[in-house]
Amino acid sequence: MPAPPPGPLAPPISPARLRRQEALLAYALLLPSLVFLAGFTYWPILRSIWFSFHDVLLGDPEIFWLGLENYTRLLDDALFWKALGNTAFYTILTVPTAIVVALLLAVALDSRLRGMAIYRSAFFYPVMIPSVAAGMVWVFLYAPGYGPINSALSALGLPQLNWLYDSRWALPAIMVMSIWKYSGYFMLILLAALKLVPGDLYEAARLDGVNAWHRLWHITVPLVSPTLYFVVIIGILHSYQIFDYVYVMTQGGPADSTNVLTFYIYQTGFQYQDIGYASTIANTLLLFVLGLIGLIALTLGRRVHYMGER
Amino acid sequence: MQGLSPLAPAPLWRRLRAGWLHLVMAPLALLWMSPLIWIVLTSLKTKTEVFDPQAGFLPESFRFANYPATLTVAPFDTYLLNSVLVTGAILACQLVTITLAAYAFARLEFPGKKLLFGLFLLQIMFPIYAIFLTNFVTLRELGLINSLPAMVVPFIASGYGTFMLRQSFRQVPADLADAARLDGCGHMATLWHVYLPLVKPTLIAFAIISVVTHWNDYMWPLLVTNSDGVRTLPIGLGLLAKADSGADWTRLMAGTMIVVSPLLILFVIFQRRFIDSFMHTGVK
Repeated sequence: MPAPPPGPLAPPISPARLRRQEALLAYALLLPSLVFLAGFTYWPILRSIWFSFHDVLLGDPEIFWLGLENYTRLLDDALFWKALGNTAFYTILTVPTAIVVALLLAVALDSRLRGMAIYRSAFFYPVMIPSVAAGMVWVFLYAPGYGPINSALSALGLPQLNWLYDSRWALPAIMVMSIWKYSGYFMLILLAALKLVPGDLYEAARLDGVNAWHRLWHITVPLVSPTLYFVVIIGILHSYQIFDYVYVMTQGGPADSTNVLTFYIYQTGFQYQDIGYASTIANTLLLFVLGLIGLIALTLGRRVHYMGER
Repeated sequence: MQGLSPLAPAPLWRRLRAGWLHLVMAPLALLWMSPLIWIVLTSLKTKTEVFDPQAGFLPESFRFANYPATLTVAPFDTYLLNSVLVTGAILACQLVTITLAAYAFARLEFPGKKLLFGLFLLQIMFPIYAIFLTNFVTLRELGLINSLPAMVVPFIASGYGTFMLRQSFRQVPADLADAARLDGCGHMATLWHVYLPLVKPTLIAFAIISVVTHWNDYMWPLLVTNSDGVRTLPIGLGLLAKADSGADWTRLMAGTMIVVSPLLILFVIFQRRFIDSFMHTGVK
C-alpha cells in the first residue's frame, strides 16, 4: 500500500519549498558523516595519487615533481613484484579455501546436530581474538624444535619443518592461520543463508537418489550463491589484515617471502620515509583490490542465483 | 532437516548420520580450539617445561603466578583504559553519524542521493589497511599523532553501518512514521521516538561488530602511538612479544590470555547476541 501523502493537514506550503527543506535537512544529516568520509577516506586517496607523482619525504615540507618516475621505478622494482605476487597468492588461495571450509562446516552444522551451539562457538571464537594475539600464538605453534606442530609431525614420523623460518613455508603457514581465523565468520554468514533454504528440496532430492555431493553442488551452492558472492567480497577485504600477521610473525621475511603490498607500503613509507614511492605502491594495491572485486562482480556476480528467479 | 515427510524412515538413519557427523566434527572442533587450549596451558607452565621435549602436554602444576608476574612488566591497566576509551569513543561517534545518515538515505529525497550513497558504500572497500599512509600524513599535520583521538577519527564515518541501518529503517512501516508526523512530530522527533526503538537489534548488531573490530585493531594504533600513555591492549601485547621474543612463552601466553579474555568472556555470556550479529551481516 502506498503511503498517504503526508501533507493534507499542514498549512499550504508550496511543494517546491517543502522539497527544498527536505533536501536541506538531508544534507545536514549527512554532513557529519561526509566530513569524516571526505577527510579520512577520499582525501587520502586523492592525496596518494598526487603524492605518487612527487618526491615526498615524511616530515619534509618540500615536494618535488617527478612525473611518472615513481611508476617507472615500480616496473623495475623486483621486490614490488614479489610483494604483489605474494599478495595475489595469499588472497587467491586463502579466500576460496576459507570459504569452502566454511561452507562444509555450515552444511554439517545446518542439520540440527546436537551440541550445535558448542560447535558453532568452537569454530567462531578465533574471530574474537586480536590479530596480534593470534599471530603470536601461531609463532609458538610453528616454533622449530619445541613447537607443538613440529612435535606432532615427529610423532607421526614426518620430518619437522622450519615453517616461519623457511622461505617456502612461511607464507603457506600464515595462510593456514588465516583460514583458522576467518572460516568461522564465513560459516556463520552461510549458516544464516542455509536456514532460508527449504528443507523439502533436499528431501525430494534424497528420495530421488541424488547423492550428498550432488545435493551440495546442485542445490545448496546455487541457493546460497548470493551469500557466497557476498562472502567472497568480505573475504577479499579481510585479506588486508595480513599486514598484522606479517608484522607480528615474520616482518616480511625470510628473504621477503612473506612481504605483501601492505607491508611493503609500511616499509617504504615509515622505515625509508619515502612517502611518494609508498603512495605509488598504495595506489597499485587499491587498483589490485578494485580489479579483483570488479573481476568477481563480472564473473561470479553474473552467475548468482536469486531465490524466486526462474 | 526441516520438512521431513512422515513416510521417511527418519529416526534410524538420522541417528546414524548424526553419529557420523559427530565423529568428523568433534575432532575438527577440537583442532580449532587447540590454539586457545595451548595458550591456557602454556600460561600455567614453567619456563623450562615449555622447552623440555620430555615434559608432558599438561603443566606439572598450575602456575597461576604467571599472571600477576605478567601484569607487573607492562602498564596493562593503562592499556585497558585506553582500549575502552578508544573503542567506546569510536562506537559513540559512529552511532550518531550512521543514524543521521541512514535516516536521510532511507526516508528523505534530495538531489545527488544515489551518488552520495555510492560514496558511502565505496568506503567499505577502503579500510584503513589500504589508505593508512596518507591518513598518517594528515594526522601528523593535524598534530594528533600519539594521542587517543588519532585512533578514533579515521573510523567515525561508517559506510557499512550506514548501509546496515538504512536497510532496517526502510523496513519500518511508513504509516507509523506518517502517523507521528501528523501528530506534529518533526523528522528528528520521529527518528528518535519511532525509528530508533524499532531498529534496536540492528544497532546492537552493529555495535558488537564495531567493538570487536576496534578492540582488536592492531595496525592503526601501532602506527599512531609511540608512548605507553596512549597505547591499547593489542599494542601492549605486541611490545611484550618483541621484548620476550621466544624467550618467555609462559609470560607471553599469560599476557595473551589477559588481552583475549575480555571479549571472550563477553562472547560466552552474550553468545546468542554475538552469533546473531555476525550471522546476519550477510543476509538481508
